Amino acid sequence: MIVFKTFLKVLNKCKAPIILYTIILVFFAGFNTKTSEQGNEFTASKPDIVIVCEDKVEGITKNLVEYLSKNSNIKEIENNEEKRNDALFYRDVNYIVYIPKNFRSDFLEHQNPQIAIKSTGDYQASLANMLLERYLNVANTYLEFDFTEEEMIDKLQETLETKVSVEMTSKLDTDSLYKVSTYYNFTNYCILAGSIYVICLILSSFKNEKVLKRTIISSLNYQKYNRILLASNSLFAFVLWFFYILLSFVLFGSVMWSLHGAFYILNSFVFSLFALTLAFFLGNIIKNKNALNGIINVIALGSSFLCGAFVPMEWLPNTVLNLAHILPSYYFIKSNELIKTIEVFDFASLKSIYLNMIIIVIFAIGFMILSSIFTSKKRKLA
Amino acid sequence: MFFHNFKYTLKTLFKSKALIFWTFAFPLILGTFFSMAFSNIEESEKLDIISIAIVNNEDFQENVAFVEAFKTLSKEGEEQLFATQYVTEEEAASLLNKKEISGYLLLEKTPKIVVNTSGIYETILKEVVEEIEENSKVISSIASYETAKHVTEQATNEEIQNIRNTIIEKVLKIQQINKTNMQDISNANLSYTMIEFYTLIAMTCLYGGILGMVAVNQNMPNMSSNGKRISISPLSKGKLILSSVLASYIVQLIGLLLLFLYTLFVLKVDYGNQFSFIVLLSLVGSFAGLSLGIFIASILKASENTKTGIMISVTMLGCFLSGMMGITMKYIIDKNIPLLNKLNPANMITDGFYSLYYYSTHERFYFNIISLLVFSFILIFFSTLSLRRQKYDSI
Amino acid sequence: MKNCIEVKNLVKEYKTVRAIDDLTFEVHEGEILGLLGPNGSGKSTTINCILSLLNFSKGSIKIFGKKMDVNAYEIKRNIGVVFQDVSVFEELNVIDNIDYFCGLYIKDKKLRKTYIEDAIALVGLENYKKFYPKQLSGGLLRRLNIACGIAHKPKLIFLDEPTVAVDPQSRNNILDGIEKLREEGATIVYTTHYMEEVEILCDRVIILDKGKIIASGTCDALKTLANIEEKVTVEVLDLPPKVLEKIKEFKNVEEVSYLDNILFITYKKGKNNLSELMEFLKEKRVNYNKIFSERPTLNDVFLELTGKELRD
Repeated sequence: MIVFKTFLKVLNKCKAPIILYTIILVFFAGFNTKTSEQGNEFTASKPDIVIVCEDKVEGITKNLVEYLSKNSNIKEIENNEEKRNDALFYRDVNYIVYIPKNFRSDFLEHQNPQIAIKSTGDYQASLANMLLERYLNVANTYLEFDFTEEEMIDKLQETLETKVSVEMTSKLDTDSLYKVSTYYNFTNYCILAGSIYVICLILSSFKNEKVLKRTIISSLNYQKYNRILLASNSLFAFVLWFFYILLSFVLFGSVMWSLHGAFYILNSFVFSLFALTLAFFLGNIIKNKNALNGIINVIALGSSFLCGAFVPMEWLPNTVLNLAHILPSYYFIKSNELIKTIEVFDFASLKSIYLNMIIIVIFAIGFMILSSIFTSKKRKLA
Repeated sequence: MFFHNFKYTLKTLFKSKALIFWTFAFPLILGTFFSMAFSNIEESEKLDIISIAIVNNEDFQENVAFVEAFKTLSKEGEEQLFATQYVTEEEAASLLNKKEISGYLLLEKTPKIVVNTSGIYETILKEVVEEIEENSKVISSIASYETAKHVTEQATNEEIQNIRNTIIEKVLKIQQINKTNMQDISNANLSYTMIEFYTLIAMTCLYGGILGMVAVNQNMPNMSSNGKRISISPLSKGKLILSSVLASYIVQLIGLLLLFLYTLFVLKVDYGNQFSFIVLLSLVGSFAGLSLGIFIASILKASENTKTGIMISVTMLGCFLSGMMGITMKYIIDKNIPLLNKLNPANMITDGFYSLYYYSTHERFYFNIISLLVFSFILIFFSTLSLRRQKYDSI
Repeated sequence: MKNCIEVKNLVKEYKTVRAIDDLTFEVHEGEILGLLGPNGSGKSTTINCILSLLNFSKGSIKIFGKKMDVNAYEIKRNIGVVFQDVSVFEELNVIDNIDYFCGLYIKDKKLRKTYIEDAIALVGLENYKKFYPKQLSGGLLRRLNIACGIAHKPKLIFLDEPTVAVDPQSRNNILDGIEKLREEGATIVYTTHYMEEVEILCDRVIILDKGKIIASGTCDALKTLANIEEKVTVEVLDLPPKVLEKIKEFKNVEEVSYLDNILFITYKKGKNNLSELMEFLKEKRVNYNKIFSERPTLNDVFLELTGKELRD
């Protein structure tokens, strides 16, 4: 009991970083909300664009602006070129259309006025480009025949209204699941960094040479002592895990009350086990408290970056992903990504998730064995 | 004396492992992670070739417009948009289920698209199909309009058909010429992941302040016992601190130089090509970090560990606000609370590099430089006020 | 004799505590002055005030006849201090540490080099020149601490408990070194709570308690304050109670006790007390194993003055 009490006292001293990790997590999860409302109906993606119109918004110009507004999200950006450039760089908008002065008259006079654009070059921008080209193509075609402006606008509207029917097969709430996945991927960092930081700090207090000497010569059974320490640390890891689970319920609510949610929880539990054993191992081999911070950052940040906790896995280069296979975080995050897409929970779709969990458990057992080797050696040396 | 203290400050700083790790090695490691994680993002945000399937039924085969359009769009080359498989409806459904295709087209009198979920690739498929459909509409609407103009009531069906055909040919010709007159005037440098590396530089500049902090602490009798020893020596405290600070500035710049070389030659970060401006910004940025370190060292009454903690927290918060953990953050702050980011040295450094990289004019750059200098001098001013005090009530 | 330091009516107050309470004393040129007192009696605070590291509430301090001040660089040039805490750079080795601190005083590189060698020889660190502080044992580290403080051959040296937690060998080495420094003409202010060291080293002693001087003078002079002259210890296996009663009646005896075969007698004053006792025991045919006499220590003085032991 006395060991456990001391454990709690030491724990109380290192709550600050845990709070910090959590704040970043909530922030991260909160910021990754995609704006599109996903239902059971297909919704077309709309690129974010800005229209800079120097012509009077009348006639064909007005029609063009209306067409673009309908098929894309018009972003409100301060009317200032620097602000627009910033917006483009930070991907607040994907595409900027500059409609020149006298566009309407030049167009009607077959002068084929030039439309300047700025584009981020990503797929949203490509879509915006397609929209604009589509309009101009049709308009140019009509122009070659002698329609009046009014007739032309009528015809344009009529033809551009063309819609095809789209059927959507998936009934998954992809948007919410996407958010939950992002959240759990990020917990990779929080759980790793949190566990390692706290457990190592506690162990380095308990295992600092002088304290350890005292413990070894005390009447307390050394094996039992180690077991109490492991149990206290496990309890901490459990509480940390439980806290993040609870937080996910607070943030996402109903999505978590589902089989998807259950698997996210199970997966993170398995990963917490691994984090615990890794932390216990590191705590036993690292003596220097100063070195601790460096090691935490390298391990936690490293495996988070390489395995896709911060940047979605599908965006990572293949070489990095191949390298990531040696890290347990990879299997944790991979499973999260898989859970996101499961439609029917049968063995076939769950097989690889179970497999990933087994791999993580093997890692955990490995570190368990390593730390028991180290602690027994250390005792003899001391 | 100045040089003596300078030399030994250099020596102690270089030999302090923890300091060197945080100011030299950590940025390099973080930079490597960034580069591994972000190197592909922008590439993967570009439009890929979209895998689709088309149900190869009679209706499709008879619709020349569709057949031709998809043939062109699926042709290998720069303009390729789709990788198309022509399959039966069951096969298409199964491909979709296995997520091997984004969607498939089923043509039964009217076209129908089947997709898994809403998304950009699905939208593009829809756009293309609509465009093909719309083309035939355009043709028929022009045709009926023109025919009505040219054809007299006596015209035979054959004549009407001929006129129609010539019109269709004309339309097709017009469309082939495709003379949409668009010009891309975007700035050439649009790679937003560069911001990550700029925040990294900012972080290194500010972390470098820890060196300055340690150097000042060494001379403070209330901070270290060495400081006691130094302050009873017959040397002016001002001179000693100045030489210590100068030494820490040099160490800081060496760290920064290493990071520059590494990011430039190994990670291939693009800083633009205005060398002298980059050097200026680095010097000023490091100076801001240095003055932050001196400020914290001289104003706060706390242990060195606490001061280091504060220094790291301030740096990380600054970097967070300037986009290190997500570039959007910088934009959101810039847009909504611009004042906050103008006070934030990490952002001023980041923004300075950004303006060199993205903008061709220098107003914004100079604004950043001046803002950093003002920041530094204010901090130095208050630090000097506090450092002038030479005796303490308790040590 | 010229005064090296003059402290007049020095008062230092922390918020609620009066750490130094109206202290007045001088340090003469060429002497070793011992500042003796239990932990927390104000020894280090006094030194920090003299060195102008601390603000003090009242009083004046002169060194070498001039007012001491933070900017009194001419005075500072001739002062060396060895602080209680080991203050060296972890990142520098022995030579570099001494060179750094010596370099704050001595510009000339050649001169500095000989000074450093002298300092190393003085504290006996010849075999550890390239060692880093971490690699040195506690005693060696203390010696390095001293070398850093005195390498520039100051005229006035403050030694603030330089021997705390040091093994006997290192302590002897350190004490020898201090003796040598004095021989070279330095004035030394030495604080400690080990009275044995004071008795060996110091010409004059000031005893501090709660920030006040409770006694000062040479060791011998101080000892007269103890009100006892001699302490005699005899190991007797069997002492008849009658004999014990007789001894108590001796004329100079202050106190007698007999416990666990040890007879302990304190004499107020007088000469030949020991031989008198020996003769008496012989006469009464009492056999004893050991007999020895001690002079009173400063601890006895302290005990007499404050009613408590010097070392707690």
